[in-house]
Amino acid sequence: MSFSFDHLFQGFVTALSLQNLMWALIGCFIGTLVGVLPGIGPASGIAILLPLTTVLPPTSAIIMMAAIYYGAMYGGSTTAIVVNIPGEASSVPTAIDGYEMAKQGRAGPALAICAISSFVAGTLGLIGLTFFAPLLADVAVVFGPPEYFALMFMALTLIISLSGRALLKGVISMAIGLTTSLIGQDPLTGAARLTFGFPQLLAGVDFISVIVGLFAISEVMINVESRISAISQKIGNWMPTWADIKQSFPAMVRSSGIGFFLGLLPGVTPSVTTFVAYDVEKRMSKTPERFGKGAIEGVAAPEGANNATSTAGFVPLFSFGIPTAPSMAVLLGGLMMYGLQPGPMLFKENPEFVWAIIASMYIGNIMLIILNLPLVGMWARICVIPFYILGPMIVFFSVLGTYSVRFLAFDVWVMTLFGVIGYFMRKFGYPIAPMVLAAVVTQMMETSLGQSMLMSQGSLLILLKRPISAVFMILAFLSIGRGIWIQMRTKAPEIAIEETD
Amino acid sequence: MKTIRQADIIVGCFLALLGLFIVYAASNIRIGVERALSPRFFPSVLGYTILVCGAGLALKSWRFKGEDPAIQWPDRQGLRTIVACLALLSAYIFLMKPLGLPIVTFLYVTANIWYLRPEKKSVAILSGIALGIISYVVFIHYLQLSFPVGFLLERLGLEG
Repeated sequence: MSFSFDHLFQGFVTALSLQNLMWALIGCFIGTLVGVLPGIGPASGIAILLPLTTVLPPTSAIIMMAAIYYGAMYGGSTTAIVVNIPGEASSVPTAIDGYEMAKQGRAGPALAICAISSFVAGTLGLIGLTFFAPLLADVAVVFGPPEYFALMFMALTLIISLSGRALLKGVISMAIGLTTSLIGQDPLTGAARLTFGFPQLLAGVDFISVIVGLFAISEVMINVESRISAISQKIGNWMPTWADIKQSFPAMVRSSGIGFFLGLLPGVTPSVTTFVAYDVEKRMSKTPERFGKGAIEGVAAPEGANNATSTAGFVPLFSFGIPTAPSMAVLLGGLMMYGLQPGPMLFKENPEFVWAIIASMYIGNIMLIILNLPLVGMWARICVIPFYILGPMIVFFSVLGTYSVRFLAFDVWVMTLFGVIGYFMRKFGYPIAPMVLAAVVTQMMETSLGQSMLMSQGSLLILLKRPISAVFMILAFLSIGRGIWIQMRTKAPEIAIEETD
Repeated sequence: MKTIRQADIIVGCFLALLGLFIVYAASNIRIGVERALSPRFFPSVLGYTILVCGAGLALKSWRFKGEDPAIQWPDRQGLRTIVACLALLSAYIFLMKPLGLPIVTFLYVTANIWYLRPEKKSVAILSGIALGIISYVVFIHYLQLSFPVGFLLERLGLEG
């Protein structure tokens, strides 16, 4: 099952078919658009479009979804540089030097360096994905239900402990996400669970409604109340000079490594790695005083880390079936919708599928650099579409995406409810990521725990008796312990790190 | 709820009650055939988790004495806008079946943009028309998705 050039070559053959090329291009275009537009991020973008792709074959659909995800990473910096509005937390470090460059009349080169850095990091990250994912899948073959449960438990605890100073709020967010997914019929006995007598709840709460509500609708509510208005920057010459490229290239390579290796860990999202990469560049620079005043490395580093982290997220997704971020959770849901179970068996049973996705990402990266470099001015103009037009459009697509899962108006009501919940979560400083991830992995966790307990005749100690699962459980408890330690040391109220996707 | 501390106390108490309710609801789940993992197990554990964490959050915030950040609530105009947008969204969902997706989309988009920027009436109407047509041509006619067409378009023979 380990890496073979034959598999990769076959993947390229599939990905280069006219149909798949077209869907990859559409995905790259939509992804960049999703990244550029404020008020919508990759998780909500993919969640909205996922049900609408059911008319496509699974490979084409996932190629498009993946392209939306990594395409959004290219576009995310545009608002940060052009109008100093970082669409997501991961774009904050880009805005520091990017907006300074824009004020100096160098918005074009800043955006171009972002695209080049994204391309370099995306490609390096893909090379890592190509070799790492099958290797880890080989390791994961020995995993049984206890190891899977422990791994998912560890992933959730890591995500909670990394959600800023808000440990209790993180646990509550995760528990509500898990509880929401338990609503409906028990998959084995068919018993109604937490339906409170409402027959509509018997079919369960669809995770798309939850995600679209939490991300898209609540974001629209936040933007509507603040009435954001954008100030357009003129994009002059977009071509960076050779000196710019020479100066920023080492930062691109370093940030790719930082982003990729940190991005393999659940919970380490681009919002974490971009800050780390920016900080490393500033420390390594011989002229750190330039940072914050328009240093081009300060733009290249976070963008590189951003893309490398997003590519790295595919490694645990493909090898273990573990999502490391909300967007990955939506992609996992998409794979499950198509009857594909990510994990080691995906490489064994559907090699043509998984290698086609990986190959399409190489192609997508080339498409994105072509889309982003010459069209940088167009994307910059799109990001200043006024929110009074954008907001209703986002709601329209959200309603469309949510309704088309099961063609039930009930799902759209659930979306609205979670939009309101998401709005208050943001106001009160609750992290959203644990809820989203929990909503997607609940079924897998319950099934693997059920199977584990069947193996052990009802004893939970099986999770500590098997070495691999014991390591995961110990790491999980250590991460909880770390969170409690940070809580005790911090003399401040619980507020999660600001996040969108 | 003006500050995070106040919100944490109130929401923490509410969550504790919610956890208690989930524990109660979990105890009423029909078990049926004996299984290694009871269908009550996960809901009960989660109910207790929400109960303990909610109570813990309320208690921790109640005892907290440090700097308390204010919640960035919208002003009166912002609040009115949010309520109006939610009301329009609710009307959108309510009217989708009787009026059909294309017409209700036209009405929703036009009304929402009109409300947010009354001086941009033509933009509102054109956006509404564009999205209404897209919803019909792309999603109902081309992709053949089962969105409601509504009685008006049905009478015109436009059923996708």
